[in-house]
Amino acid sequence: MTAERFIVPIGPQHPALKEPGHFEFTVEGETVTDARVRLGYAHRGIEKATESRSWTQNAYLLERICGICSHVHALAYCLGVEKLAGVEAPPRAQVIRALVSELERMHSHLLWLGVAAHEAGFDTLFMYAWRDREQVMQALENLTGNRVNYSANVLGGVKCDVTDDHRRQIMKMIKSLSDRIDHYLSVVESDRALLQRTHGVGTLTHEQAESLGVTGPVARSAGVTQDLRRDAPYAAYADFPVRVMVAQSGDLKARFLVRLNEMLESIRLIALMLDHLPAGDLEARMPRKIKAGETISRVEAPRGELFYYIKSAGGDMPERVKVRTPTLANMASVIVLSVGHQLADIPMILAGIDPCFSCNDRMVTAITPQGNQVLTWAQVRQYGIDFYKRQAERAGS
Amino acid sequence: MLTQAHELLSAWAQAERTPETHRLDLVIGADALIDAVRALKTVRSLYLSAITGTDTGSGLEILYHFCAGAEVLTLRVGLPYDTPRIPSLCGVMPVARLYEIELKEMLGVDVLGLNAHDRLFLPDDWPQGLFPLRKDAALDTLNDKESD
Repeated sequence: MTAERFIVPIGPQHPALKEPGHFEFTVEGETVTDARVRLGYAHRGIEKATESRSWTQNAYLLERICGICSHVHALAYCLGVEKLAGVEAPPRAQVIRALVSELERMHSHLLWLGVAAHEAGFDTLFMYAWRDREQVMQALENLTGNRVNYSANVLGGVKCDVTDDHRRQIMKMIKSLSDRIDHYLSVVESDRALLQRTHGVGTLTHEQAESLGVTGPVARSAGVTQDLRRDAPYAAYADFPVRVMVAQSGDLKARFLVRLNEMLESIRLIALMLDHLPAGDLEARMPRKIKAGETISRVEAPRGELFYYIKSAGGDMPERVKVRTPTLANMASVIVLSVGHQLADIPMILAGIDPCFSCNDRMVTAITPQGNQVLTWAQVRQYGIDFYKRQAERAGS
Repeated sequence: MLTQAHELLSAWAQAERTPETHRLDLVIGADALIDAVRALKTVRSLYLSAITGTDTGSGLEILYHFCAGAEVLTLRVGLPYDTPRIPSLCGVMPVARLYEIELKEMLGVDVLGLNAHDRLFLPDDWPQGLFPLRKDAALDTLNDKESD
């Protein structure tokens, strides 16, 4: 029997993405043979909006590009503007910036761990991961006053200081999280049901990772040793050298391992930063107008390289701010990786790049030659789980 | 990386400057872009990090940012408003695709050879010929449309 070919459009009220996206997967039988992406449903025109707001207002505006890695957006922007103005934030502020970056990385990776586990049908891991993430959110709230858009950065430094109380709370938290992450590492490497969904699935070779220009944990899980915290240290990373976590296999399992190991590295860095927090001011004085010029500011967001190009014409507002987020760099890999895989693997492959999750609605429309059939995303996710259950039963019988 | 790139591209560079440490900006013509990028492909661990399109007030300027570690090489290509044509890099560096679609939609750059007919970022009912990142983009007309 020849396999029938049909197209499965997914989104734009998307599953797993914080910003909605639309994907069309062409399927022959169970196998995906083509994939297309349509973005922009949450395009808010922020780059254009920066051109009519002051340098200070833009720090708050740009922080709201992402609801997960908000801090790194403000950080990349502030570092860039400070460079243009010839101002350097005080050392204590730089360490606090790096400290919040690492807390944010942990919150982002734990969030991802939960969502990826959920897509695999492993809801116990999802709930544990999100329970643990809550501790990080709590620490961020205690430190900055906010759970999500922390606004820790201001132009010229930071707005919040780390007190002895904060230090004690954070040390207690990372001690408990360190044990939890060790446990998750053993789960990810030993749980047979999870391994079935991750081992050898969505494999990106080293060559593909380089030619597709993927970044962050997706690149590092395919053996590309790239991390801006080490390669182009910013904030306080020159004083706190980062050990870059890499894996070689390039599959989903490798992406789990890299992100989990990165959290352990974040814990090490956080403890080190708290122990070696320099005394001093939190802010340097910034001019209201920024002298004419242009600069490039790059930071390592939880999802990879975040790129900012900032141009000033000498006024109190930027001439141009260009932002290239890591998800855009990683998106091409979803398209390439999907082809040749089972439809049942799509939720996990999408989840694998960690494309800004935080979903509220999910819908899939499957158009079949027999007529239109509407499925919810939950049904597609369930389809993936059932598909692998059946495979496991078949293998067992 | 920058020294090697500088040697490789010196034949096409019309102007050059080092705006910051670890950075090199080379101005090249649109017709030399493909050859220059093909030459850059031989540079180890270099990747296309981003493409920035800007409206300078006297024309458009496209900046191709290539990175390797801390170093950033920017190829700057100036384009006139009336014929903003530039060849697509997709044949040489497939990663350019999404960035080039962004250029096309946001600044109205005619990217020759780019196979993308659907919109990627702007809404389907966005007015034809309105490019939001151009300085003279009449975005007020959108408000009029919404209030209708």
